[in-house]
Amino acid sequence: MPKPAPGLFWNPFLQIFLTVLLTAAAQILLKVGADYSAANNSVWSWLGLVELGSGWTWLGILAFLASFGGWLYALRFLPLGLAFALTNGTHIFVPIGSWLFLGEHISLLRASGILLIIAGILFLAQSVAKVEEKT
Amino acid sequence: MSLLAWLLVIVSQLALVAGQIFLKRAMSRREHGGEKARGWIGTLVIGIATMTVWFLLWLGVMHQVELSKLMPLEGISPLLIVLGAAVFLRERLNWRGWAGVGLTCFGVLLVSAS
Repeated sequence: MPKPAPGLFWNPFLQIFLTVLLTAAAQILLKVGADYSAANNSVWSWLGLVELGSGWTWLGILAFLASFGGWLYALRFLPLGLAFALTNGTHIFVPIGSWLFLGEHISLLRASGILLIIAGILFLAQSVAKVEEKT
Repeated sequence: MSLLAWLLVIVSQLALVAGQIFLKRAMSRREHGGEKARGWIGTLVIGIATMTVWFLLWLGVMHQVELSKLMPLEGISPLLIVLGAAVFLRERLNWRGWAGVGLTCFGVLLVSAS
């Protein structure tokens, strides 16, 4: 596997973390945008084009595009399956962001799900470390 | 969920897996350099086009179905990606990797079921 440039910012794991944060922000923005256009039920609603009328949707798209840069960078160095599983971290930050910004409640079940995802991410990180030891 | 919504979900998940495999292939080729690197931009464009299809379909599904019903379906996409990467990119996971994928998928299910 190729080696990334030195420096914390060029660490592929940090880039995945940034991708996860930006994707979570994008999801929340898209949700706000979708709520704004939910009243519209034209022929095009199944394609998601109606949502493009909301500025929130465009902010969400911007966040998605920014996250895409970090994701492509990480793909240069990490296997796809592992890297994609790491992006499940989004599901940690979407509930937390929804709680902070949309006033949604975090139930006990949801909190335990978040803990499981964190545990899973620790396993994934260890798995990558083992692969790197061998090569 | 209506039949159309299910169809949209299935097509969008397929587009997601295919798009990610194209992206990974493009970035790997670019990294290898030399003869193999040629044409990586073409593969990247195909990947981005496929991801755009996924994005529009996913927005459309979000418009029709409550997010809480959709999120469990999103939980299976890492599994699909791992399987797709195993078949098309010959990626192999060690047991820690599988445990990590399983735990995160189960966690996503719990987060979205509540």
